Amino acid sequence: MKNLLNFLTKYSNLILFLVLEGIAFYLLIKGNNYHNSTIIKEIRGITSGIERKISNTRSYFHLREINQTLANENVILKQKVEKLGKNEDLSFFQVLDTIRRQQYLYTSAEVMNNSVNRQKNFFTLNKGTRQGIQTDMAVISESGVAGVVIGASQNYSVAMSLLNLDFRLSARIKSNGYFGSLAWDGVHSNTAILSEIPQHVAFTIGDTVETTGFSVIFPEGVFIGTISSYEKPGGDFFNINITLGTDFRKLHYVKVIQNTMKDEQIQLESVYQ
Amino acid sequence: MINRIIRYSIIFILLLLLQVLLFNNVQFSGYVNPYVYVMFILLIPVDIAPWLLLIISFFTGFIIDIFTSSPGMHTSATVLSGFARPYILRLISPRDGYETNSEPSMFFYGIRWYLIYALLVVFIHHLALFFIEVFRFTEFFRTFLRVLLSTGFSTAFILLLEFIRRGK
Repeated sequence: MKNLLNFLTKYSNLILFLVLEGIAFYLLIKGNNYHNSTIIKEIRGITSGIERKISNTRSYFHLREINQTLANENVILKQKVEKLGKNEDLSFFQVLDTIRRQQYLYTSAEVMNNSVNRQKNFFTLNKGTRQGIQTDMAVISESGVAGVVIGASQNYSVAMSLLNLDFRLSARIKSNGYFGSLAWDGVHSNTAILSEIPQHVAFTIGDTVETTGFSVIFPEGVFIGTISSYEKPGGDFFNINITLGTDFRKLHYVKVIQNTMKDEQIQLESVYQ
Repeated sequence: MINRIIRYSIIFILLLLLQVLLFNNVQFSGYVNPYVYVMFILLIPVDIAPWLLLIISFFTGFIIDIFTSSPGMHTSATVLSGFARPYILRLISPRDGYETNSEPSMFFYGIRWYLIYALLVVFIHHLALFFIEVFRFTEFFRTFLRVLLSTGFSTAFILLLEFIRRGK
């Protein structure tokens, strides 16, 4: 007993160190559940207040640019409306709702908190389950893919940014249709690497890379970026560097996309796979 | 004693704001992420009990983690550097030993001593932090390069802050 006490007093600092590291690693591995624990929720209330202030200040500085992009987008949308209107004049039969099916629903959201300087980046959106956001929804900016929602509370949701080493996306080269896997390079906030493109495929620098729609998350044909350079690492595949369309450093307004037929597709695929 | 707690709380809040508002938004290429809040662990008095230092380091990392929403990442790195600090201080102790109740500051023990001290603590912190962040040993040297470069930048900013602190 005495020996035990001696041992404990002698190594008390080491034991305390191991206990505290244990707690830290427990938090680390628990990962995303962290956001859900009640104590953290209370503290998040305070920090999200500060984050909102920062975000507000930032949005003020970006107003001019945001107006510009919104105006551009309005022009494009107006042109689309114009085209649709003309089509309706030409058609004689009524369009039935059961025949037209809308697969993707869009909603806008504002980025409250964002990072680009870590290896695993996330951003926070100002909408949550009350506004219809659920996990596994796609997030895009006006100029390309931005991320995927991985968790939602009542009024906020957290999305995994494309700038995250765990992020994988099925992508294809628009000009020839060959698809591969896209991941962030971990260094630059505007570069990703498209791999698994076989070496016999012909493409040129500047070609557009877009989503495939194989996953149930992203719609088909969403712009990701353009090819900036490529290398042959020696295997059968190219490593293609992509300049991302989205500027993550000033990500502010994004669209969240819901796939209304996601469950149906997953259910059907799970029967056969 | 109370005075000291208030002083350290103010220093902590200033460093926290500096880290969250300024340095978390800094990115020179993908390799440099300065974490200057480690300076708080450097500033704690020399003769503090090791267990108290561990607990202070734990909460320092924990609060930074809440602000960067990276559970456990900074906490494990700060606890490790808090654990290593007494050994580092013993390793590089000046010939006459440390004065009681003194802060490990540049103006007490000289710039060379402070530079070695800051470099060692910051390096241990960054080594743990960056490897826990990627959580893999593939591309070991790329991560290691990030550790070295970020250590250099963090230490430089800490030296700068140390000068400013003295100037006040």
